[in-house]
Amino acid sequence: MLGKGGKRKFDEHEDGLEGKIVSPADGPSRVSYTLQRQTIFNISLMKLYNHRPLTEPSLQKTVLINNMLRRIQEELKQEGNLRPPFTPSSQPSDSLSDSYREAPPAFTHLTPPSAHPCDLGSTTPLEACLTPASLLEADDDTFCTLQAVQPAASTRLSAPALPPEKDSFSSALDEIEELCPTSTSTEAAAVAPDSSKGTPGESRIQKSEGPQEGRTDDSRLLDSLPGNFEITTSTGFLTDLTLDDILFADIDTSMYDFDPCTSASGTASKMAPVSADDLLKTLAPYSSQPVAPSQPFKMDLTELDHIMEVLVGS
Amino acid sequence: MAIMKDSGGGNDIQWCFSQVKGAVDDDVAEADIISTVEFNHSGELLATGDKGGRVVIFQQEQENKIQSHSRGEYNVYSTFQSHEPEFDYLKSLEIEEKINKIRWLPQKNAAQFLLSTNDKTIKLWKISERDKRPEGYNLKEEDGRYRDPTTVTTLRVPVFRPMDLMVEASPRRIFANAHTYHINSISINSDYETYLSADDLRINLWHLEITDRSFNIVDIKPANMEELTEVITAAEFHPNSCNTFVYSSSKGTIRLCDMRASALCDRHSKLFEEPEDPSNRSFFSEIISSISDVKFSHSGRYMMTRDYLSVKIWDLNMENRPVETYQVHEYLRSKLCSLYENDCIFDKFECCWNGSDSVVMTGSYNNFFRMFDRNTKRDITLEASRENNKPRTVLKPRKVCASGKRKKDEISVDSLDFNKKILHTAWHPKENIIAVATTNNLYIFQDKGN
Repeated sequence: MLGKGGKRKFDEHEDGLEGKIVSPADGPSRVSYTLQRQTIFNISLMKLYNHRPLTEPSLQKTVLINNMLRRIQEELKQEGNLRPPFTPSSQPSDSLSDSYREAPPAFTHLTPPSAHPCDLGSTTPLEACLTPASLLEADDDTFCTLQAVQPAASTRLSAPALPPEKDSFSSALDEIEELCPTSTSTEAAAVAPDSSKGTPGESRIQKSEGPQEGRTDDSRLLDSLPGNFEITTSTGFLTDLTLDDILFADIDTSMYDFDPCTSASGTASKMAPVSADDLLKTLAPYSSQPVAPSQPFKMDLTELDHIMEVLVGS
Repeated sequence: MAIMKDSGGGNDIQWCFSQVKGAVDDDVAEADIISTVEFNHSGELLATGDKGGRVVIFQQEQENKIQSHSRGEYNVYSTFQSHEPEFDYLKSLEIEEKINKIRWLPQKNAAQFLLSTNDKTIKLWKISERDKRPEGYNLKEEDGRYRDPTTVTTLRVPVFRPMDLMVEASPRRIFANAHTYHINSISINSDYETYLSADDLRINLWHLEITDRSFNIVDIKPANMEELTEVITAAEFHPNSCNTFVYSSSKGTIRLCDMRASALCDRHSKLFEEPEDPSNRSFFSEIISSISDVKFSHSGRYMMTRDYLSVKIWDLNMENRPVETYQVHEYLRSKLCSLYENDCIFDKFECCWNGSDSVVMTGSYNNFFRMFDRNTKRDITLEASRENNKPRTVLKPRKVCASGKRKKDEISVDSLDFNKKILHTAWHPKENIIAVATTNNLYIFQDKGN
């Protein structure tokens, strides 16, 4: 959309859409706000983790993206605490969203409705993984189908994202993902953005063909996982990091220290320091609990946090 | 020769294309991307820095008194490689040679001096002219070879003879190893002896003669880097008070500091911040409030800040809100998520004052730039493009259609080219001549009525 300056015709459909979103019922607006927040969260993660420049990344950009992530995490945490059963209309957490009422309209102006996610022309391959903004802009009556579609797609995404032959850490993560597929979809999508380069966009998006087909893509995706994904999950790297801290303590390694891995983990660790325990707790009931295939928007937000922390290795 | 007109404003002036410098083809070489533009104090010289570490200085032709209808053209005066890429072995990262800022020193003698900086190192360059050379040495031939002393039978006195003008640039001082983070600003003090350099977390004060040490005057680095939520984005000395400077932050605040108060100016004398408008609140509120540039007016009474969507003028005597706010491209407010995604939201636009502080200018996308007349409150949008190539062609005002029906000649928001951004602009200190940098071209526009 924001690209080379190609003219496009005025779309009357958009006009009606804007009217709808601006004065919505609580339900769809709340959901669209949550979706937007999730999208921004994923984009932010992508920016931090995917960027491997030859030169030092801009500290200002890193700080702003970090602040964005922290704010969203705070919000998620507060919402997670405030409303155990999900009821959009009558919860005190809505007072938080009051100040964010502009957010849904802002979000829906993103792109013209487009069926094919690759049309977005976005610079980030992540767009191929997420429910693209274009589909979320679609009419309200298709909104419910979107909700059903996204978790199914995510289920497929979560399966190929992690290589089973890696260390026990990753296999534990794998098990957690199978436990709650929707909550891990965002992380899986976030940390495996480049894998989409290896596979055509169509085969991974939107049409729910079941988790089995996701498995067939596994081998291709595993090979094309980016190196930085290893950095975020491999405990080996983090051990080295600690060692470096000790060895080079007198040198100003502040730029090195303040890289997205440690900073995000530091933040996360401040918010929920019991991640390791939670990890064990989630592992324990796995054997007895059946896999729940699709739980649209019942994602446990604390689970989301735990997955985050496990991923960044806090 | 140029008497400063009390310019009626951006609209009363008829801006005409004058010149364009740079490659014609659309394929932009990365090294040619212009990263800074600055007039010197007289306006006779115009310096640009690029991503390849080069500095190109243009000089205005002396006005032909007969042809009084136009100001002199700017032609290349000197080109030199200011910075080279370096490698930080400790962090295994490259240090870019891109010139972040150029600041001219006031002229004291025949030579010109400027400071140029990349992310880590500031250099003082002397640009001097040589238009004579000595001829007639006794022991040397004209080509420099030494003569056999035994062949010298007569003596003569060498004399200076004119030669083709040669402009030499030589580095006189190198101020290095004082910044852990990336330098974003340099500013020369009104005492003309000291200057400041600011990176993301610290501001250092230097003496122009001393390169082996500097004083740290601001340090906002937290003890625990994980607590870092705010960085310094720009800093500038007050044009008249040599003890006063300001620095802006990524949270939209500006702090004014007085160096007489303490050695480390961590505590500000004044804090300029506008309370957030709750009706405009969004996920991106913080990011768009980040200030990308701060500039004092020539008078020193006001300062201007540029954030992502607007330009604000602050009276130094009033901290709680700006006295004027101008929307640069409000139509982008609904596109912030996409602009966040493609990183455009992090673009750092600069801004500048005209010589009389009555008009301010800043850049936008699609090679548009905007001027706001503070007196008439009128604004204008112009485009820097080779299509308006004829000299003395008056530029046609542009208009962006935010939504709804697009009128003829208007451009819709979705047609804007976000790769064509004007980040750097400069205004001649005395005349209505402006320099506007697109990605790799430098445009010079002049007022038609002269």
